[in-house]
Amino acid sequence: MVSTAPRIGRAVGVQVLLWAYAGVAFGPLLLVLLGSLRGNREIMREPLGLPTSPTFENFGRAWANASLSTYLLNSVVITVAAVTLCTVISLMAAYPLARWRFTGRALLAAYFLSGLMLPIKLGVLPIFYMFQSMGLVDSRIGLTLLYAAGGIPFSVFILMAFLRGLPTDIEEAARIDGVGELRLFRSIVTPLSRPAIATVAVFQLAPTWNDFFFPLILLRSSEKYTIPVGLSRFFGEFSTDRGALYAGLVLAVLPLVVVFVMASRQVVAGLTAGIGR
Amino acid sequence: MRRFIAGVLSMVIAGGVAACSPGAGAADGDVKLSVWGWRTEDVTVYNKIFEKFEGTHPGIDVEYRAYKNTEYNTILQTGLSGDSGPDLAQLRAYGELQPAIASGGLLALDAAVPRLASFPAATLDGARGRADGKIYGVPFAIQTMHVVYNKKLFADNGVAPPQTWQQMLDGAATLQRKKIIPFAVNVRDDWMIPIEHEIFGATRYGGAAFEKRVLAGEAKFTDPDYVASIETYAGTSKYWQPQFSGVGYEDAKALFVSGKAAMFPGGVWELAGFRKSAPDIELGIFSVPPSPGAVLDKAVTPGFVDGSFGVATRTRSKDEAVELARWMATPEFGQAFSDQLIQISAVPGTAPTDPLLKQAFDAYTANPSPYLMYADFSYGTPPGAEVLRTNVSAVLLGTGNATDAAKELQRSVDTWFKPRG
Amino acid sequence: MAFRSGRRLGWVAFFCGPAAVLYTVFVVVPLATALWYSFYGWQGTTRGAPAGMANYAAVLGDYPYQEQVLKAFWHNVVFFAGTMLVQNTVGLGLAVLLHRNPRGKRMFQTLYSLPYLISPLVVGYLWSMMLSPAFGPVNAGLQAVGLDGLTRPWLGDPAIALPVVVLVNAWQWIGCPMLIFGAALAAVPAEMEEAAVIDGASAWKAFWQVRFPLIMPAVGAVTLLTFVGCFNVFDLVFALGGSSGGPGQSMDVLGLLFYRIAFQGGVNAIGLSSALAMVMFVVVFGVALVVDRSLRRREVPW
Repeated sequence: MVSTAPRIGRAVGVQVLLWAYAGVAFGPLLLVLLGSLRGNREIMREPLGLPTSPTFENFGRAWANASLSTYLLNSVVITVAAVTLCTVISLMAAYPLARWRFTGRALLAAYFLSGLMLPIKLGVLPIFYMFQSMGLVDSRIGLTLLYAAGGIPFSVFILMAFLRGLPTDIEEAARIDGVGELRLFRSIVTPLSRPAIATVAVFQLAPTWNDFFFPLILLRSSEKYTIPVGLSRFFGEFSTDRGALYAGLVLAVLPLVVVFVMASRQVVAGLTAGIGR
Repeated sequence: MRRFIAGVLSMVIAGGVAACSPGAGAADGDVKLSVWGWRTEDVTVYNKIFEKFEGTHPGIDVEYRAYKNTEYNTILQTGLSGDSGPDLAQLRAYGELQPAIASGGLLALDAAVPRLASFPAATLDGARGRADGKIYGVPFAIQTMHVVYNKKLFADNGVAPPQTWQQMLDGAATLQRKKIIPFAVNVRDDWMIPIEHEIFGATRYGGAAFEKRVLAGEAKFTDPDYVASIETYAGTSKYWQPQFSGVGYEDAKALFVSGKAAMFPGGVWELAGFRKSAPDIELGIFSVPPSPGAVLDKAVTPGFVDGSFGVATRTRSKDEAVELARWMATPEFGQAFSDQLIQISAVPGTAPTDPLLKQAFDAYTANPSPYLMYADFSYGTPPGAEVLRTNVSAVLLGTGNATDAAKELQRSVDTWFKPRG
Repeated sequence: MAFRSGRRLGWVAFFCGPAAVLYTVFVVVPLATALWYSFYGWQGTTRGAPAGMANYAAVLGDYPYQEQVLKAFWHNVVFFAGTMLVQNTVGLGLAVLLHRNPRGKRMFQTLYSLPYLISPLVVGYLWSMMLSPAFGPVNAGLQAVGLDGLTRPWLGDPAIALPVVVLVNAWQWIGCPMLIFGAALAAVPAEMEEAAVIDGASAWKAFWQVRFPLIMPAVGAVTLLTFVGCFNVFDLVFALGGSSGGPGQSMDVLGLLFYRIAFQGGVNAIGLSSALAMVMFVVVFGVALVVDRSLRRREVPW
């Protein structure tokens, strides 16, 4: 048992390292959280500091003034619809691309994956004119479709990697038993892919939820705005009210954090089974 | 899965129906005018001002709608060329207005708004099309640039608003000795550099006199006076906050409103924000006195046209939109704008009631100076302000010198600028 | 797979069709249109006469764009190199530590990934406050421990502004390589490394010689994603340094240059910015293909 002491020492060292980085990762976020509890004048004078007399007043002001409830609802609807649509059709596409052999397979896969390198923002003007000709300007549906389309390359990339790693025997057996392709996909491939689906969904969630560029350009009526656009207007109107601004930020990111914490087990499993292979 | 598909389908159908239903407001016979702008902080006030117009023009509803400052140009571009755009729009000035005019998205207002003839030519320049010389908007505000100061900090330390350059530096030195930052300056968000250069350097290079000569091709930015104006501005940096190059716009403002700094060189547009976040600070403004060797012998106040309101070519209610534009050229609108938004209206015959703004306006009227990089050198790509700020920031950081900065500016301007005459 | 190919192609169309249609309509077509725009002169939003390669010539060959493009491109290269060095190495390190010490693993993974959830604009705003020489806790902290000599104007110091942005970017994205490497490490059979250690190799050596080659596919995926991310970076740099990339343009990148030309580029902004966008795409796409190829060759099958 000569090695026990150094081993304990090393374990402690590792814990210290892990906690230290946790401080780096979480510290700045804590400052926003603390800022949301401070009075505005206090913040202007000393932008970073501890709340001397914590107050939830900022949250009330942010909630009441920024129509956050409307924006929140829009964001939830658009994000959920876009991420769901994107994940479903990406899974459908990734399935044959990863598991079948057919002419043009490699080409089709490359076509999808090349989108990883295309920053979709570059096409904003063509997108606007196209939306206009399709009657999709100022429509939440249009925005949803755009987000879903934009997420396809990344989702197909991850899902293909995952599906390639799945054993083929269940599928073969099912096919020999005469199970139809559609049922095979629905009742075997989809349940098996659950962890990868979670990964893809969570990774799409943050950029979709946070985007404020496209809603600004493509939406016109404020009752359709999403949280980031709503916040950016709110920042304009309340640019001198830092306390309310921080409170708005906290409210905007909270739903995302909750989802992320809940889904993190599935995400890690999805990655392990997917890219890990 | 099936439930999901059904859900998506029903959403698509619902959206389709919603898209086909007629817009609100059309039913009651009222004409709805939508005015776009970038002043998200002023939405309520603008709408209140427009109520006056609605009162005298029954049957017209006006709505001011603001978009985020940084994205406004893109949104306006798409709006003016699309079906879902505005009837009137707040327009940037000078060179930044030209793309919208070139697209054909705006109506020329020379004939439609006769009152424009009473505006000073220099004000109209902010709304003029470079190619055809026509006026495309009704100018709404004049912005002036000064040094804003904290009256209490000045009084407590025996410093007075300076009459001479030396007094200004002495005052700064006194404050510095007492551990108060003399000037809070924004360098990191470098868009303010050309503004600060005008505030400190205008007298040195000669302001309006230099403008006239440079536009006629008789002077260049490489002339010793202009080069020296950059050095004059950079020379004040020893009275700026420590490690000034890392301090951004918000930080610099926070230094001033927290009482850590006594002066803030900037535009009158800062006053409202300062008052809101620090109501207990009594504000004063002064224009910087001529520096040693200055071409001008008295202080000048740089200023420019902030922008104008134009009428969209694609508006469905042209008559009503033009009527609103006409109203925006009347002193009734100008005075309301001035009183309620606490800004300097560009409409002739109006004057600010706020004492500080009045002081700013009077100083500008008495001894105006152009914001060269915006009023005259924003018409090419890259715009002069961009070239100037990049190269002058190198001077401030100690990685470049004023001669080279001026040379780069001239070189860039030469690629598109044609002197008149 | 024993079913006839004719029928199978029908199924391929069924499965891939929806994604292909949506992706083509909303991603490929707009970008192809942008390519087409780049061959015209523009009057604001009105398309003018065909301009051939003039826009490309202007962006790549004319003063001052040529200098700016080269400078920005170089900053993107530095950004990529720095991110590989810092973000992905630290990410790998954290993944290894968590792999060896599974206690609290999921909590740490979640904590480390939280910054990813915040929009880059907000991250930029947050860090410019952290790093502010006027109020920021970074300089205040250094002074508190007597390291006054290390305080800097951070984002205002042209020599270190870019590295600082790389660090902030790494702070936000580190969860991504950490999770991917963690997953890859978990998939490597532990016996292989143990065997090497028993054979007398140090744990350090065993890791690099046995385990690391086995996670090469993950390294490849991370490198590719990093590369694409670094060459498209915009929001964060915009928030930290404004549209010109900080004083002296020390953090100007291609994304910012595109923004400046597109929104402050005068009457022909659309033509010029579309041309620059296409150049960026060709560079990113070309290099990504090469990176992908060369990494694939180094994968070790097991």
